[in-house]
Amino acid sequence: MSQVEHHQSGVGYWRDLEQLAETPAVEEMMAHEFPGYTPGSMLSAGGASRRRFLKLMGASMAMAGLTLTGCRRWPKEHLAPYSTNPAGRMPGVPEQYATAWEFGGVAQPLLVTSYDGRPIKIEGNPSHPGSWTVKGKLGSADAFAQATVLEMYDPDRSREFLDRSTDKVKVWHWEGFSEKAGEHFGKMKGSGAGFAILSEATTSPSVLDMKKRLLAAFPQAKWYEYEPLSRDAEMEGSKRAFGKPVRSVLHLDKASAVVLFDADLLGTHPAHVRYAGDWAERRRSADHGEMNRVYIAETCFSITGTVADVRLPVHPGRIDALVRALAKRVGVAGVSGDEKLSKDEEAFVDAAASDLKGAGGAGVVSVGPAASVEAVALSHAINQQLGAVGKCVTLIDEPAGDRSSHFAAIAELVKQMTAGKVDTLLILGGNPAYDAPADLDFANALKSVKASIRLGLYDDETSKLCKWHIPRAHYLESWGDARAWDGSVGIVQPLILPLFGGKSVIEVLAMIAGDKVTAGDQIVRRTWKEQFIKGGDFERTWRRVLEAGVLENSASAPIQATAKAGGGGEAGNGAAATSEPSKGAFYLKFEPDSHVHDGRFANNAWLQETPDSLTKVVWDNAAMISVKDAQDLEIKTGDVLKLAANGRWMEIAAYVMPGQPIGVIGLPLGYGRTSAGSIGEKLGFNTYNLRASTTPYVIAGAQVAKTGDTYTLCLTALHHLIDKVGMDGRQERIGGKGESGRLVREATFAEFKKDSKSPHKGFEGAARLQLFKPPHTFNDTHAWGMTIDLNTCIGCNACAVACQAENNVPVVGKDQVLMHRMMAWLRIDRYFKGDAADPQIDVIHQPMMCQHCENAPCEQVCPVGATMHDTEGLNTMVYNRCVGTRYCSNNCPYKVRRFNYFDWHAKPPRNKTGVLYPGLPDQQQNDVDKIRRMQFNPEVTVRMRGVMEKCTYCTHRIARAKINTRNAGTDVKDGDIITACQQACPTQAITFGNLNEKTAAVVGLQRLDRAYDVLGDLDTRPRTRYLAKLRNPVGGGAGASSSPGEHTRMNATVGSESESVG
Amino acid sequence: MTQIAINAEIDNTSDDPRERELLVLGGRDFTSVTAAVANVAERKTTLGWKIAFAIAVFWLGILGACIGYLFTTGVGVWGTNQPVGWAFPIVNFVFWVGIGHAGTLISAILFLFRQNWRTGINRFAEAMTIFAVVCAGLFPGIHVGRPWLAYWLFPLPNQMDMWPQFRSPLLWDVFAVGTYATVSLVFWYVGMIPDLATLRDRATSRVKQILYGIFAVGWNGSCRHWHRYERAYLLLAALATPLVLSVHSVVSFDFATSQLPGWHTTIFPPYFVAGAIYGGFAMVLNLAIPARQYFGLKDIITIRHIENCAKIMLATGMIVAYSYGTEFWTAWYSGSLYEQFTFWNRAFGWYGWSFWVMIFCNAIAPQILWSKRMRTNLVVVFICATFANIGMWFERFVIIVTSLSRDFLPSSWWLFKPTIIDILMLIGSFGLFFTLFLLFCRFLPVVAMAEVKTVMPQAHAHPEEQDEHSGDEFRSDYRPDEHFRPQEKH
Repeated sequence: MSQVEHHQSGVGYWRDLEQLAETPAVEEMMAHEFPGYTPGSMLSAGGASRRRFLKLMGASMAMAGLTLTGCRRWPKEHLAPYSTNPAGRMPGVPEQYATAWEFGGVAQPLLVTSYDGRPIKIEGNPSHPGSWTVKGKLGSADAFAQATVLEMYDPDRSREFLDRSTDKVKVWHWEGFSEKAGEHFGKMKGSGAGFAILSEATTSPSVLDMKKRLLAAFPQAKWYEYEPLSRDAEMEGSKRAFGKPVRSVLHLDKASAVVLFDADLLGTHPAHVRYAGDWAERRRSADHGEMNRVYIAETCFSITGTVADVRLPVHPGRIDALVRALAKRVGVAGVSGDEKLSKDEEAFVDAAASDLKGAGGAGVVSVGPAASVEAVALSHAINQQLGAVGKCVTLIDEPAGDRSSHFAAIAELVKQMTAGKVDTLLILGGNPAYDAPADLDFANALKSVKASIRLGLYDDETSKLCKWHIPRAHYLESWGDARAWDGSVGIVQPLILPLFGGKSVIEVLAMIAGDKVTAGDQIVRRTWKEQFIKGGDFERTWRRVLEAGVLENSASAPIQATAKAGGGGEAGNGAAATSEPSKGAFYLKFEPDSHVHDGRFANNAWLQETPDSLTKVVWDNAAMISVKDAQDLEIKTGDVLKLAANGRWMEIAAYVMPGQPIGVIGLPLGYGRTSAGSIGEKLGFNTYNLRASTTPYVIAGAQVAKTGDTYTLCLTALHHLIDKVGMDGRQERIGGKGESGRLVREATFAEFKKDSKSPHKGFEGAARLQLFKPPHTFNDTHAWGMTIDLNTCIGCNACAVACQAENNVPVVGKDQVLMHRMMAWLRIDRYFKGDAADPQIDVIHQPMMCQHCENAPCEQVCPVGATMHDTEGLNTMVYNRCVGTRYCSNNCPYKVRRFNYFDWHAKPPRNKTGVLYPGLPDQQQNDVDKIRRMQFNPEVTVRMRGVMEKCTYCTHRIARAKINTRNAGTDVKDGDIITACQQACPTQAITFGNLNEKTAAVVGLQRLDRAYDVLGDLDTRPRTRYLAKLRNPVGGGAGASSSPGEHTRMNATVGSESESVG
Repeated sequence: MTQIAINAEIDNTSDDPRERELLVLGGRDFTSVTAAVANVAERKTTLGWKIAFAIAVFWLGILGACIGYLFTTGVGVWGTNQPVGWAFPIVNFVFWVGIGHAGTLISAILFLFRQNWRTGINRFAEAMTIFAVVCAGLFPGIHVGRPWLAYWLFPLPNQMDMWPQFRSPLLWDVFAVGTYATVSLVFWYVGMIPDLATLRDRATSRVKQILYGIFAVGWNGSCRHWHRYERAYLLLAALATPLVLSVHSVVSFDFATSQLPGWHTTIFPPYFVAGAIYGGFAMVLNLAIPARQYFGLKDIITIRHIENCAKIMLATGMIVAYSYGTEFWTAWYSGSLYEQFTFWNRAFGWYGWSFWVMIFCNAIAPQILWSKRMRTNLVVVFICATFANIGMWFERFVIIVTSLSRDFLPSSWWLFKPTIIDILMLIGSFGLFFTLFLLFCRFLPVVAMAEVKTVMPQAHAHPEEQDEHSGDEFRSDYRPDEHFRPQEKH
């Protein structure tokens, strides 16, 4: 039963005998108030024109007014108040439930805040090592996971069972469908010939259990698994190295030297939350005289690349050679061949090998998903040789490792389909019609399948081609379970009944398999009873698991495995791969997109409007091309390129990317959706058009040409290559490569050890100039303050999305971003440092939000006193009082104030500015979509148009903590108040607390020598202080201040610097 | 004094201190001055006026439609963004407030300084002031995010005991502009009473008699009336004089007291006042040159008036140009990275073109007015005044938009692009201005008849003292009306 469409099941009152008889036809009629009336499809068929909309609206109004339908009375439902309160339940008090979200076959442990039965906020599960940043207290979830709450409330999600087996789309319902399915599958029982199932990647024990049962019922059925972004190479590589699929779990908190090859451990790796936290621990220890060093050789700029100490941009053909060269230098047996390396590569490998060997087992090598199987296998051999296994690497059995590679699977399935051997295809999730490799032409093959059934969140590209569509219940609406990266099993528990009456994977499988247990929770309980909670009191353990979200000590046991010499078999001489690309030919590298991943989040407006960490592009994707290549081909950002490879071609806008390896074009996947919903359709460029099943990540020998057209890319910050005056002005403030900048301070670790104030050298003149004693100190009992550690910030956007979700921050849409009216209270400023053409350009991320200045420039210029200081140092914003002069924003040197130019919550994000959407003043509550409204955090005002807003330091969280502690008769202690951004940060770069509490973490951090005020010379006296970034280049950065472009850090002599690795 | 042979070609622009040049030409006497001025209001509505009025009202309608759109949809219909929170509306506001300076300056300051030539142009210059302030007052009210609550800027007693925030320059603006508008209106109206009485007396229709009669508040030209009137006028002039300086100083505080590089500078008050007078006189010239032609007032608004205005433009234009230089010097001398960048960016960054438009219009173009031949050439002066108006609009654009578009953190730098609504509302504000101005020209005395008569030689005829010439005219404290006897007028 859904909450929104209340289907009456089981007939209490009946209108005629047929209804009492419950024949399917009548049931179908009954399920809908107006049979045949499907507003969604009526509007979308042939495009939702205004004319059509008005026609329908006019007709409905006429019907309502002229006939008696408007006066019809449906049976009243009576709501009873809580006469007996469920135990522990207090209306209006938010509750938190632990759950998990399976993303690409790996569980992300989560903690969901629910407000009166509505999940409104997603955070990391602090009881799970996969997400905790402070065990038992603080959990982090990434931007995607946090944004899934918006996905759940997406009004575009499919709500109906659709039957497309005839020309006319029929709206169906679960009961009717299951009856029909029972008939269809009943005939196949016992054989299942011609029955294929295509699933997303999954390690869920319950799904795997249901799979087993299904295959038992249909022995000849085939189960395929496909995920467009998979970690196949890793699995295949480990098979080659160990003879069986093995997963390596890294412990970066124990690693002092980390060498990565195209492995974005901190950004896109399934365990990146854990890895980022562990990495940060080794960065923070710089204050105690120890620091790790991260090397990365990569083919596209990644988040990990931005914070690596040594970054070598290379084209994909070089990765194998580099891994081999490293293997040779660390002494892996069985590596043959002498690699020809360039000067930079030589320096990189030498330094990395030296650090790894010097680390004494505290060094680790990892290879990314786009690399070759050989490189992965070799990385295992290197780790083993280093003695890292057991120290910073734990090997576990790959869960669900018995599958073939995803691309082989989908190719095989298409082969079967085309050969006519598949009569019935069940597609569980995914979106293969959109994201299957282009050479397979999955969409065409799908058309030939007689009975195709699709379970999907949206009526998307795949569903449109299937005969049947079943709305899928969101993971926040359904029962399930999943395995985290470390192998531990966790529970997926629903926070709400399915809003639109969807079904989960296990429920659909149970129905088809004819399982007698059909309810999701019963299926999960059965699995757990059989597999995990065998002895003891099941109910008690089950409750504990529900509470914690994870079964204690269920992480996979480390296994003993020995990598074969040379990574298993000949590592290959790689002659073809290592060759330089021929002139004019480019490598194409497919990347997950930071907004939509593989395309699945296309309809998620939060993610669409969260700027990419590096490009600051929103609502779009673009081809990353290096500065050098762009100069050679006279390409500017926004020029449309024609890319051709393997007989296919596509057009895409270019983004000139500093730090991009020469000869490599980075292509983010997931855009150009055609049936994604009202938010995500017709955005960006579909790069799947070039992807082939044989070369899913890298295509060599692509041709690039300018078409002459230009495309306006939607950016939230100016592109790196702005006019000369601007570039010079920025350089003055940010500093060049290796230099500390006025706004973003940094030093090398070696300099910092010598002089802990070295990041501020040259900026001492920017001391606070105070002619008189400040009249107010704003430290009445509490003095709230924050620190942001630039040293551990990786620019991952988790804080930005957390802020958006917590504070009801609206989305403005592409056209409004082009007018620079983003509403994000917390933005992450990304600065490139140094010469744009230098491939080893430096990057720094600086989260920027309201600094809560004690001497706030915004406050004194507001004519109506809408922004004032409170006694504890908060720069408060009184929305009700604001008339919107925008003077405060003009006078804010940090430009962190955000203005509601329109009624953003009511404005459809894709609606153009020119379109009139008038509303009466201050009547927003009538304009916002009813479903969308359910997600709002009731503790935070939803701002109306015409008012200014900004970061409040999560003032509602402060108030809640104060109320709680007052009730308990104590005072707020350090750690009682966690701001949303702080909570989400996987690296604990953000710390908040009471500056009056001497032992508070924030006090200690603000007193560090690294701490500084951004624009402190304006005497704004900000309460947020920044901690300077430290870099740990090879050679201690001795030559770092000399001219850029000489790669001085790389060329520094190797051998003596390993002692600077902590 | 012998009757001077007067002809239309007479040159009254020489500045020989021994000779007092005529301010009214064409051999006009009191009657013909009255006739010439009153005729503008009394004659039948001309086709030219109707066409001009139709155009002005059309644009006023556009302005109204834009405001309706703005109210129902949101202030986002303008091109403002973050960081450029103020753009066209505030540029227009400061521009119109600036225009509003010339009128009161001519009426009040020149009155106190005994500049008799002001009488020919003061009436419509004051009218221009009022209408410009109306245009100016419109923009701050509607540029705010919730315009229906803009009245919160006024210190209105209320049950919540909420008062405006007195540290904010925007609030000072409310007071400064409000006071200025009120005093200017009163000053204008008080000065107009004798002339309204003249129109009342000459009125031929009952409706006109009643309406002019109401506004003439019973003026009968008695000695006592004249006495009270002149005292009141003098007091109002004294009251209005500091306001001329204060209003734009306070408007400049909006910028000067903030800490944005390019705004945060102490030179703004004098610099803004000089700019406002420069722009205001330019607007006076832009209106006077066609008006004297069209309404047949060449004898009253003579070349000498035009030339004097041109001289003021030259002087204030030089002050403005000097200020531009000073700003750059200060930025360099401050040693502040942000200040230096802002001014460098202003001249050579994104909006460099607007800076150079400003420099050309405000600093270079007025230099031509050094030449008397050019000053007395109506076409040249008109073009020069037009440049000044364009230049002064761009000055505000340069100050507001370029400073905001690139401030402290490079991450928030962004461009401002006007939307169609921005442009329509700018033109629409001219529609509002000209609608009001055309109505004024049609129904009210465009020249201060009574005052003009006081500076005519006829007002100083001393037949009984002809042989013993007093030489009063050459006294430094000479006032043309010191021997003024009202009864002689009739």
